Amino acid sequence: MVEVVKQFASGIYNLLLGMFTSGKHLTRHAITVQYPKERWEVPERSRGMVVLLTDHETGRLNCTACLLCMRGCPSGAIDIEVEKDEKGKRHLKNFTVDFHLCCFCGLCEEACNFAAIKLSRKYEFPEYDKKDLIYDIQKLQAAGLDVPYEKPVRNKVEPKTPSAAPAAAGTPTADTPPPPPPPAAEGPTPTEAG
Amino acid sequence: MAEELRTEDMTVNMGPQHPSTHGVCRLVLTVDGEIIRDCVPVIGFLHRAIEKMCENRTYAQCIPLMDRFEYCTSMSCNWAFCLAAEKLGDIKVPERGEYLRVIMGELNRIASHLIFVGVTPMDCGALTPFLYTFRERERIMDLFEMTCGQRLTYNYIRVGGVAKDIPPEFIPKCREFLGIFEEKIRDYEKLLVDNPIWIARNKGIGIITPQLVYDYAISGPSARASGVNFDIRKNDPYSIYDLFDFDIPLGTNGDSYDRFNVRVNEMRQSARIVAQALDQLPDGEIRAKVPLKFKPNPGEVYSRIENSRGEMGVYLVSDGGPKPFRMRARGGSYNHLQAVPHIVKGLKIADLVAIFASMDIIMPEIDR
Repeated sequence: MVEVVKQFASGIYNLLLGMFTSGKHLTRHAITVQYPKERWEVPERSRGMVVLLTDHETGRLNCTACLLCMRGCPSGAIDIEVEKDEKGKRHLKNFTVDFHLCCFCGLCEEACNFAAIKLSRKYEFPEYDKKDLIYDIQKLQAAGLDVPYEKPVRNKVEPKTPSAAPAAAGTPTADTPPPPPPPAAEGPTPTEAG
Repeated sequence: MAEELRTEDMTVNMGPQHPSTHGVCRLVLTVDGEIIRDCVPVIGFLHRAIEKMCENRTYAQCIPLMDRFEYCTSMSCNWAFCLAAEKLGDIKVPERGEYLRVIMGELNRIASHLIFVGVTPMDCGALTPFLYTFRERERIMDLFEMTCGQRLTYNYIRVGGVAKDIPPEFIPKCREFLGIFEEKIRDYEKLLVDNPIWIARNKGIGIITPQLVYDYAISGPSARASGVNFDIRKNDPYSIYDLFDFDIPLGTNGDSYDRFNVRVNEMRQSARIVAQALDQLPDGEIRAKVPLKFKPNPGEVYSRIENSRGEMGVYLVSDGGPKPFRMRARGGSYNHLQAVPHIVKGLKIADLVAIFASMDIIMPEIDR
C-alpha cells in the first residue's frame, strides 16, 4: 500500500516536472524566421549554386579549360567544351553545369587551381522549366559576377603539369595575383609590431 | 456457433510509408488481435547501389556517396571510408587533422543521438522532446555548416585529413554549445526518464539478452544497453581515441528504457571528448599530401569505427588503380533489424513501434 502511494506521488511529481520544463517556454518569444520575408545569413563557406568566376580587371573568366573540375565531379554534372586555336592553345568554348545532377559536394571547387569555379552562397534558383536548370557559360558567368573570391596566390613551382604552368603565366589571371599579396603581407606586420 | 466465433491470425503491412519505420521499411506482421505473432521485415526500398557506384568512382568521389550511406552521421561514414583508404595507401594523417576528425565525429554522434532522443518519444506519443532536441541539433548543424558548408551531406573528411580548417569562430561557438548542453540533457531527462508514462511504455519491453547480442552481432549503444561492454573506441582504438578520457555507459536490462538512457549518457561522454579535443587541439597541417590521382597499393583492408548506431565498417579491395575494385560497407542497423522479429513476438503493435524506435534503426544504412 505504501509502495503504491509512493509510486503515485512520484508519478504525479514527475509529470508536473515535465510540464514545468516545457511550461518555461510559454513566456518567451517565438524564434521562427518568417522565411520569404526574412532570411538568415548563410555562412561564408556555404555550398550553394555553382558559379564561374570572372577576373574583375580583365573581364575574362578565370577558367583555363584544364578539365580538372569535370574529372573531379562525382555525378558528371559538369560538361566543358574546349576548342584549340591555331597555336594549339586551349580555349573555353562552353561550360555547362547541370543542376539536376549536381550534388553540391564542392569537389570541383577543390580541384580548381585558378579560382575559376566556386560554390557560391546563392541557394534559391528554382525554375518552372527543367531545361532552365542546365546552366550554360553565360548564365554561370552572370551568376558569378557578384560573388566575392580570393585570387589564388600562385607560386610558380606548384603546378606539376608542364602545359598548365605556361598557360597560367601567359594569361592576365596569373599576372594579377602578385599585386594583392603585398598589401596583405603589409597588413599583419604593423599589427605584429604594435 | 463456436465455429463462427473462432479467431484467426491476420497479416497486415506496416509501412513502407509509415512514420515510425524511420525510412521506407515494410514490416509484414501476423497479428492476433493486437498481439504480434510474426514479423518479417522487407528491405530494399531505399537501395541506391552505393557499393557498386563506388567501383566506378575515384576514392575522392566516393566520399560524397558515403554521405548518403547514412545521413544522420555523414561525418562518421566519411571517416570510415577514409580510414580504409588510408590503410590501403599507408597515409599518416597529421595530428590536427585527427583532432578535427574526432571533434566532428563526436559532434555528429551527439547530433545523431539527438535525433534519436527526439524521435523515439515521438513514436511513443510525446512530441515535446523532438522540438527540444532539434533546437540543440540546429546548433551543431550551424557548427558544421560554418566549417564545411553543408548541413547534412558534409563531404568534409578526406583521404589524408580533412577538407578545410575550422573557421576562427568555431571554437568559441562550440564551447558555448558544450556549456549549455549539459543543462539541456537534464531537461530531456526531466521530461522522460522518470516520467511514469514513459516508464510504462518502455521498461521491460523488447529485452535483448547478451546472448542475442552475440547471436546477431548487435553493436553500438543497443549492445551496450544489454551490458555488453564493447566499444570500438576503447576495444580497438582508431584515430586518437586512446588519448581521451571517457566512459562507456552501460545498461543492465537491455530493454527499450535502457537503450534510451545509454544514448543520453553517451551524449554526455561525447561532449566530454569534444571538450578535451578542443583543449588539446594542436596547430599544424590538417591534411597529408595525397596525390591528386590517389592510387593505393593493391590489397584489401577492413576498417571499422564506432558509429552512433553501431559498428560501421568499410571493406575495400584495391587493384592498384585509382578506383576501388570493390567496396563493401557494413552498417549496424542491418543486424539490429534482424533481431527485431525475435524480440517483438508476443508483444503488442504499439510495443513494436517503441522497440523499433529504441533500436535506432535507419533504413539507408540497411539498403545502401
